[in-house]
Amino acid sequence: MGASVPSQVTWMNGVVGQFHAKFPQFKSTKVVVDWIPWGNRTTDWTNALTSGKGGPDITELGNTDTPGVAAQGALANVTAQVKSWPSGADLIAGNLANDTIGTTSYAVPWFGGVRGIWYRKDQFARAGLTSAPTTWAQLVSDAKLLMKKYPGTYGLGAPSNYTNAIVSFIWGAGGQVAVSQGGKWVAELNSPQSEAGIRFYADLYLTEHVSPAKYIGQTELGAPGATSGGSDEDFAKGTLDMYIDGPWAQASLTQVSTKYKADWASFPIPSENGPSPAPAFAGGSDLGVWARSQNKTAAWDLVTVMDSPANATTFANSQGFFPEFTSQLSSGVYTSSPILAGFAKAAGFTQISPLNSKNWGVADATDAIIPTMMKALMQGANFAATVDKANTELQNVLNTGSE
Amino acid sequence: MPLGTRAGAFVRRHRLAPYLLLAPALAGIALVLLWPLAQVLIFSFQNYGLPQITGAAPTQWVGQANFAATLADPEFWLSLRITVLFAAVAVPLTLIAGTVVGLLLNRLGKKMAAFVSTAALLAWATPPVSASVLFYWLFNPDGGLVDWTLSKLPHALVGSTDWAGFNWTTTGALQAYTVLTMLVVWQAFPFIAVTTLAGLKTVPAELYEAARVDGAGPWRVFWKITYPLLKPIFLVLLLLSVIWDFNVFTQTYILTGFPGNRDEFNLALYMYDKAFGFPPSYGLGGALAVIFTVILLVITVGYVRSSVRQGALT
Repeated sequence: MGASVPSQVTWMNGVVGQFHAKFPQFKSTKVVVDWIPWGNRTTDWTNALTSGKGGPDITELGNTDTPGVAAQGALANVTAQVKSWPSGADLIAGNLANDTIGTTSYAVPWFGGVRGIWYRKDQFARAGLTSAPTTWAQLVSDAKLLMKKYPGTYGLGAPSNYTNAIVSFIWGAGGQVAVSQGGKWVAELNSPQSEAGIRFYADLYLTEHVSPAKYIGQTELGAPGATSGGSDEDFAKGTLDMYIDGPWAQASLTQVSTKYKADWASFPIPSENGPSPAPAFAGGSDLGVWARSQNKTAAWDLVTVMDSPANATTFANSQGFFPEFTSQLSSGVYTSSPILAGFAKAAGFTQISPLNSKNWGVADATDAIIPTMMKALMQGANFAATVDKANTELQNVLNTGSE
Repeated sequence: MPLGTRAGAFVRRHRLAPYLLLAPALAGIALVLLWPLAQVLIFSFQNYGLPQITGAAPTQWVGQANFAATLADPEFWLSLRITVLFAAVAVPLTLIAGTVVGLLLNRLGKKMAAFVSTAALLAWATPPVSASVLFYWLFNPDGGLVDWTLSKLPHALVGSTDWAGFNWTTTGALQAYTVLTMLVVWQAFPFIAVTTLAGLKTVPAELYEAARVDGAGPWRVFWKITYPLLKPIFLVLLLLSVIWDFNVFTQTYILTGFPGNRDEFNLALYMYDKAFGFPPSYGLGGALAVIFTVILLVITVGYVRSSVRQGALT
């Protein structure tokens, strides 16, 4: 994800060495790695497809990208290769299913991650909070308490353009974004449960005032496309007490400030009434072979080295993600780290549907239906009308074309 | 008679020389302008997108479906409204600021005029990307100069808003386009000023002298002498400004967060998003380009007609 950091380059060089050793027929095959900024990925895919040139042999994809990109005819069918790959059976089944349309697999999961809530142990201690909140009511009262103890800070960041966090609140009230019924998507943003989640999130700004106005129109990382000035920076600087993101944020938080690093910790996003956390969106990245690659065999063989349980786990750990292999996840490594413990707990309660449907990329990344709805609500738009409008749009987009 | 001479006679007899001289330029324009225009028109009636380019799906004629989809999209009407309102504010401000500075330049001494026009032209010459980034930082909620200044001013003067963290660019169209208006006017007025100045230099000084002797103030002098004489120039500047302000893309793209806030789209951003968002739809993009061109043509034709009728453009 993003432009490279040294640990990624070191890891990749090691992988290429293993690839050459394991597959002598490709001993002299040169592997060129292009590290591209995460925000450029769809533009680069589009350019490769339209020009027919400069396409990769292997590409990383966000797991919500994969179904849409596969539907554009960009990815090679790797069903047979996955079946005959010994490690394939150990992959978390639900995540492999995300890369499968019908019975055809277009990619394999590489690493995964869930969002939770970052907080600071020193702030919780001084405010007299001894345990993480497990209900929404506790979450808000904790946020207000922290704001009182730390004047000039905000309690909990709620950026409007942050679908992957908002869905946790919809799910955490027992709602659904959309459900599949008889081969059709039925959007459920305006069910009473979903509306409770949407309203709670909007009210973090509107009525509870624990989130500042400046996060309206922003993602968790600031203005869309910008690389500075978001809730992540405010948390690292100490002007935001709690903020929603995944464990992978640690690297960028550290770049902003290490002043409070020793006190960083996490807990899962609470559900409306507890005690179990709200389901977290099972995010992550996949590896796919490009449909127009001239070197599909070598490409797949390299994928199996990059995604071997040992290599994938090393990579995931170094970047703050979780490996996608059941055997690795159940080892006790993750629960012992304060930062990872909350996220590891959240990883036990995940959901991905409908974020893995073919048209989700259009609904969210392109049409930004949920962000636009949340932004309008935070600007004070009529609640029922705004949610109904988004619901209709979502259902239309999800049912575009054949599933 | 040798062949060359005979051909020469043919050209002379049919008065073909002007057309022959025009031919290379016309061929060039056809290649780089007319052919792409035709292509866009063709796309606007097709379902042309990535699967069609890669060959995964056939290209189909879809009739006026792209146009129907565009006109039925509330986001299209919202972006059109934003575009029109923005132009309605930015164009007059640009013209007024430009004209006033032009009049000022005409009255300044040589050195001061050189200084003022250089300063103004620097704003005009600043690349839109640099200017947008500059304004992005000026109006940044995290320590931007404008927010900082506003937060230091007494509440009685600027209201009790939390100016220190006021997010101008992404929280709503009104805030974003307030900044964009300042940015666009700042970059566009120098051209108006210099053009007005050039026009003013052609007005005979005796006219102003006579008016002053008759006791006319500056306001009257402007409306009775300067404006009627420079009307053709003002009409062209008005037309150019409308076209430019309808087309503002770079600044809106950067300040509203790289197509991330759809409620702040103007037509240019909306078109970009439809054509090049993922998955791209060149068909919809083509239809939008056609609609956009028609809107601008209507404005242009309207102004040219009215100005020809008034004898301003001859």
